[in-house]
Amino acid sequence: MLKRRIIPCLDIKNGRVVKGVHFAGLTDSGDPIEACRAYDGQGADEICMLDITATVEGRDTFVEVVRRVASQTFAPLTVGGGIRREADVRRLMLAGADKVAINSAIVTNPGLISQLAAKYGSQAIVAAVDVRRMPPRSGDTEPLYEVVIHGGSRSTGLEAIRWCEMAAELGAGEILLTSMDRDGTRDGYDLWITRTISRRVGIPVIASGGVGSLEHLREGLADEEGSADAALAASIFHFGLFTIGQAKAYLHEHGIPVRPPEPSRGITLG
Amino acid sequence: MPREITLVDANLGNLDSVERAIIQAGASVVTTSDPDRVAAARTLVFPGQGAFGASTNGLVNGALGAAIKVVIERGDPYLGICVGMQLLFDESEENGGNPGLGVLKGSVRRFPDGMTSFPGTRPLKIPHVGWNDVQPVGEHFYFSHSYYVDAAEPSDVTWTTRYGTIEFPAVVVRGNVYGCQFHPEKSQWAGLRFLRSFLLGGRA
Repeated sequence: MLKRRIIPCLDIKNGRVVKGVHFAGLTDSGDPIEACRAYDGQGADEICMLDITATVEGRDTFVEVVRRVASQTFAPLTVGGGIRREADVRRLMLAGADKVAINSAIVTNPGLISQLAAKYGSQAIVAAVDVRRMPPRSGDTEPLYEVVIHGGSRSTGLEAIRWCEMAAELGAGEILLTSMDRDGTRDGYDLWITRTISRRVGIPVIASGGVGSLEHLREGLADEEGSADAALAASIFHFGLFTIGQAKAYLHEHGIPVRPPEPSRGITLG
Repeated sequence: MPREITLVDANLGNLDSVERAIIQAGASVVTTSDPDRVAAARTLVFPGQGAFGASTNGLVNGALGAAIKVVIERGDPYLGICVGMQLLFDESEENGGNPGLGVLKGSVRRFPDGMTSFPGTRPLKIPHVGWNDVQPVGEHFYFSHSYYVDAAEPSDVTWTTRYGTIEFPAVVVRGNVYGCQFHPEKSQWAGLRFLRSFLLGGRA
């Protein structure tokens, strides 16, 4: 059967991992190439890198990081951050990205999704959707979530579920759903919105925002809780709290289907 | 083991990762879209992403498709990856129906909407994205596709994978012709081992 994916995510600024990465044995905790190699060796199902640089020079550096990571890992690579137009996507795909995660640009121009899906295939286009829970209004029967852009700093007026359905209809291959309320809190994923969107759209949903423990990963992926197809996490892996292998062992014990971590092997085959 | 692999560039996606994986598995790579060079290949690998449709029709009916068939009919090893495997078959229902190369018998079909693993469980997503186990080898490989091969000759199918109620070919082999639905170049060690066994000419 298809397994649920565990996706470590690295935030990259000016070519370096933000917050550092604290694995045993890494000589340079801020080097994204070393970090990705470590995740690949631990059996990460996919690797995600997000560019949080604001400058043009930083963007060029990021493309170079993508190129170097892609040349040394044999796992699917998803990249995002600052993608505005088709030319940005082309640059990243040529550097070796398998998928691009696009956030603000598809909100301001939803037609970009169909344009990119036609050119690169839906499997390469991930709609990154940042959501925030709205204050409850009298008469609401269920919570209301709004799509936000620019790192949560700007409202869009878009209702989250409707927007995800639309992104899927336009040809996005997956949704990377981040709860801005939970991001960085270590309180766990927002299970209600994750489950609701995962059940409503026909494409895979990646849960993101808030993981502080292995139990949070389990909740995000369990059918009656988050119901997500993949779980993305940053800090629990960055800070060496857990390895990918430990996360998978925990999930396996708790009934979530995961790919067994492969033993780290030398480069020699046969 | 062949020293040099010819990689077909039919503009069906980025070839770099396939090239790197083949090099890692122990061969060198020449990438080309020139039908004459394809036809002269001693070992051919044809990767593909995306969709059957406008771009593949041009290929099937054009010089590149003919060149691929020359290699296959001469008996030299051929490996088609993902869409490169699907193209070996008679036809695809993708984008309203399109012909394939007709090297192997069967059709390419879309996973049905609303399919579940067990009655009462949530509907499965399309595309089928992620790591699934392949039988009888029991290894996991990375898949990313909405269409699967419905092979007419069971003897062509050597490895299978299940998604929902559909059991579909993960690897097909007939003589010198190999195809895999998964992406070996994205399947870490399992993928490199698979490529290595193709290069060694064994049944993958």
